[in-house]
Amino acid sequence: MTAVKTTETAAPAGSIPPALPPAVTGGARKRRRGGAFDRALPYLLLAPALIAILWLIGWPVVSVFVTSFRQLNLGELVRGEIVWTGLDNYMTVLQDERFWEVSLRTVVFTVSVVVASVGMGLGIALLMRVLTPWVRIALQIAMLCAWAMPILASTTVYQWMFDQNYGILNKTLVQLGFDSFAGYSWFSSGSSTLSVVGLLIVWQAIPFLAFSLYAGLVGIPRDLYEAAGIDGASGWQTFRAVTWPEIRSLLLMVTFLSVLWDFKVFAQIWVFREGGPSGESTTLPVLQYLEGIAKSHFGVAAAISVLMMVILGLITFQYLRKLLQTEEGKI
Amino acid sequence: MLKKSAANVVGIVLALFFLFPTYWMITSALKPKGSTITSDYDLIPFSVTFSNFATAWSKPGFLSSLGNSLMVTLIAVLAAIIVGITAAVAMSRFAFRGRKSFVLLMLVAQMAPFEALLIPMFLMMRDLQLYEHLSSLVLVYFAVTLPFCAWTLRGFVNGIPVELEEAAMVDGCGRWGAFQKVTLPLLGPGLVATSVFAFITAWNEFLFAKVLIRSQDLETLPVWLSGFQTAFGTDWGGAMAASVLFTVPALVFFLIVQRKMVAGVTAGAVKG
Repeated sequence: MTAVKTTETAAPAGSIPPALPPAVTGGARKRRRGGAFDRALPYLLLAPALIAILWLIGWPVVSVFVTSFRQLNLGELVRGEIVWTGLDNYMTVLQDERFWEVSLRTVVFTVSVVVASVGMGLGIALLMRVLTPWVRIALQIAMLCAWAMPILASTTVYQWMFDQNYGILNKTLVQLGFDSFAGYSWFSSGSSTLSVVGLLIVWQAIPFLAFSLYAGLVGIPRDLYEAAGIDGASGWQTFRAVTWPEIRSLLLMVTFLSVLWDFKVFAQIWVFREGGPSGESTTLPVLQYLEGIAKSHFGVAAAISVLMMVILGLITFQYLRKLLQTEEGKI
Repeated sequence: MLKKSAANVVGIVLALFFLFPTYWMITSALKPKGSTITSDYDLIPFSVTFSNFATAWSKPGFLSSLGNSLMVTLIAVLAAIIVGITAAVAMSRFAFRGRKSFVLLMLVAQMAPFEALLIPMFLMMRDLQLYEHLSSLVLVYFAVTLPFCAWTLRGFVNGIPVELEEAAMVDGCGRWGAFQKVTLPLLGPGLVATSVFAFITAWNEFLFAKVLIRSQDLETLPVWLSGFQTAFGTDWGGAMAASVLFTVPALVFFLIVQRKMVAGVTAGAVKG
């Protein structure tokens, strides 16, 4: 398993012959030759992507804001009526105790899942450097199997493993002597349901995290460790002084991606218990679905969507700012 | 020495932890009907049958949803790759006014929380009369994967020295010829990795497939699988066999391009 070599930014030091320049970082070159066609060419190349993004992402973003100020239920939708209600939808949502409960639950769930998966991903990446090759390869193949399983397939398998009567988990627990687990339901409360969903998500998220972080770790020049060894640094000191600074930005990046992915999880939660029992495992994406699609309260659901983006923005704001700053320097 | 063997033990335990659900999916799929729903302890399958696969294969909806999933995913990814690569080349090889803002737009669009756009997407597809039509899913998956494809491919194009193209142009190739003969072949692995990742994203998608399509003939595989239990009772053997059939294509693709994928997804992040 070698490090990432395909992009200029990810290239481990020393693996690329110095003859190749750090290929046009953000690689624009001025081309003075050529006429009007040459000057128009980049715009022509960009046009399809730009149009698609403005139409299919830009417009929906505008539209979700606009819709959130409208009263839009099935009646208005069918009649094509436009009824402006100002902040009514937001009032409805914000005055609903359930919204705050669900928001808090979503944030707690996201943070727990992200911390668990990034922490274990980093732990496994560090572990992989120490392992005997065949154990490492076995672990990597096992992780690939978990990573590659389509979400609905893994959700179905977990449902089966946690099945109340015939699931292998309860059978094993009974076999080990915990007789009270015969017929035990893991989905009788919201927190228990979300724990199972969280386990499923962490299990499936770790491989990507471990592989990326491992690629970053392998890219750290060996001589840094040798130098630390000569200086007599302990394992922890070496980690603090050598490993940590080298993978910090990568770690931030994968943490940020994990927050984005875990915050909006819908399929797993919905398939397990549709947000139940009695709404106790409902998160914001599920709430948005229930209000918008199941109850046809499109205006209210749009307000929930906007608030969802606001909450996600608040969680990721600092990182996004940092990322945009460094990217702007680079591009 | 002791430390290393302890690490190896942890490594093996972790490998079992990651492998177990796959193992359980496959063995449950191979068990004869009825033997999944006993209270016996059955960690190892003692008799093996393929009848669950036959059952899943012939269940109404499986083949049509497999076909729908394949069609929607392939068209969307192909479109995203074609549009993405032109944008990537423009971002990476040309200097022009507005380039920087466009690159930032791609970065931000890539992070857009798509699930939050459910309502406007639903209303938009309805207005376009594409509700209950597979092309609505094609459009959504195209939009979801495009910024990712453009962004990742830009990283791969950046990795190919522009000097190679310039040399080809000096030797008499046109710009298109140079791109076609030099850059495109070098870009091959990056293209494969990017399209597989986009494929998996679309292959997995559940929320929009559930909302934009109601009719059973047009269901995609994830939606069909989620309804498996209610439609047929709890035939876990059949459900596991269907899950295996759903997993195999994804697993094969993954094994081929996994390294490149990690490179693509974290491109630009390693040195901040």
